[in-house]
Amino acid sequence: MLNYLRLELLQVLRDRYYLFFALALPVAFYLLWSSIFSSDRLDPVTGLPSSVDIMISMASYGALGATLMSTGVRLAAERRSGWLRQLRVTPLTPTTVIVVKTLAAMSLGLPAVVLVGLASVLWQGVRLDAPQWVAIIGLLWVGTLPFAALGTLIGSLAGPDAAQPITLGAYFGLAVAGGMWVPLSVLPQVIRDVATALPSTRFAELGRAVAAGHAPPVSAGLVLAAWTVALGVFAVAAYRRAW
Amino acid sequence: MDAINVEGVAKSYGAVQAVVQESLQVPAGQVVAVLGPNGAGKSTLIGMMLGLVAPDAGRVELLGKSPAEAAARGLVGAMIQQGELVPNLTVREVVGFVGGLYPRPMPLDDVLELAGLTELARRRTGRLSGGQAQRVRFAMAVAGAPDVLVLDEPTAALDVEARRIFWSAIRRYAEGGRTVLFATHHLEEADENADRVVVISRGRIVADGTPAEIKRRAGGRTVRFRLGDQPAAGLEKLPQVTAVEVGGGFVTLHTGDPDTVVASLYSTGLTVRELEITTPALEDAFLSLTAGGPAC
Repeated sequence: MLNYLRLELLQVLRDRYYLFFALALPVAFYLLWSSIFSSDRLDPVTGLPSSVDIMISMASYGALGATLMSTGVRLAAERRSGWLRQLRVTPLTPTTVIVVKTLAAMSLGLPAVVLVGLASVLWQGVRLDAPQWVAIIGLLWVGTLPFAALGTLIGSLAGPDAAQPITLGAYFGLAVAGGMWVPLSVLPQVIRDVATALPSTRFAELGRAVAAGHAPPVSAGLVLAAWTVALGVFAVAAYRRAW
Repeated sequence: MDAINVEGVAKSYGAVQAVVQESLQVPAGQVVAVLGPNGAGKSTLIGMMLGLVAPDAGRVELLGKSPAEAAARGLVGAMIQQGELVPNLTVREVVGFVGGLYPRPMPLDDVLELAGLTELARRRTGRLSGGQAQRVRFAMAVAGAPDVLVLDEPTAALDVEARRIFWSAIRRYAEGGRTVLFATHHLEEADENADRVVVISRGRIVADGTPAEIKRRAGGRTVRFRLGDQPAAGLEKLPQVTAVEVGGGFVTLHTGDPDTVVASLYSTGLTVRELEITTPALEDAFLSLTAGGPAC
């Protein structure tokens, strides 16, 4: 099981697309946005200085992307290529495969969180307490669970050609409506209404709350848990059929 | 207990019957070729053996266990068709990983050596030629040292020399008393490498025997000699002769028993010159057994 986890992580960490989408892009966006918006300006919704607010946005954005892409796109490709069939004739059980894939997908979001955090410290001089950093990293790891479920659902249902655009669509849709690209406060009211129910908004909210020095709101945990259960049920059913 | 026991399995895809109620028992240690043209049902049959395809009827046992349980216990290794490799890993990593899933794997260096991959061990799987990738898939199939090895068209992407090397590796692997079942539409592969040939056509097993028996079953041996201007009349009445062809000054007698035909030929008073006894290639036997099936 650990060997399989290692293999899953290795495959993705060596992938140029992963390195670009999940690491380079969030860091580059952070450097760009945090330079454009003055650090003195406090976000009207979160009350955070923009250098911190954008750090949480981009860390969440990177983690969201890494988790979605490494489940959705890869699972679809592995179904097509025959790799999953190859694994079926080995002693590896389908439960182990899905558990490891989920763990791997969640963990692949961590490098983006760490790198964007590092960029914020080095570039914008952001200072948070050590427990805050630990909490942010931990929450942005656990919080990717609903996205791993969504990716598994997409990867189990869609063919590899369709999985790529569907995953990217979900990725950008969730990121924009979740206030990761631009602050929610500047988005139209309609999107802000929808956003409160979206897992991506609540996912970023976990980090924002900790960065602001609060405990993460219970409502955020509940919304994420509800999405995880709902998507997880469909994902497991779809994966079973696909396996 | 048979290594592979297939009992009355059937599988349809819509209106197409891929496999029609077939049974097949393979004792441990046998090397079996499943021979048939493309679309004959070979891959469906193999998919059911491996538990990748659920049969509509019948059941499959590998070493007395269901395919899923046999896989879980590490008793089975397989090369399946359209097996693309996962990208971004080296040959050594991927073969070592698959071997490590089994309870008693072969030493990794031995596997790489057997599959002719020692030189390529550090190469990324995405940078292999078709034939090299095929060797990696073979290495993955044998890495766990499974008792039952199932190969679906294992030499599809290989050139002649690579095929020769591949079959010598398979024979080395089978020498340890392991069971090997492979599908192919290359007749010479079945002829040269299998103890037993099962011919499948349009979802049915149409012949099952040693390569020699399959040739004989197809009924086609001939006795041919120069007739000159002697009369051919009466040759069709000789014992064991099934058909007579005359042309170009030669006569060809079709028979299942050339010895008897030749013996009686000399009692006819004809002058027999340039006598020739031919055994058809397995190719002809195969075509006659699968006649009417889809083109090869």
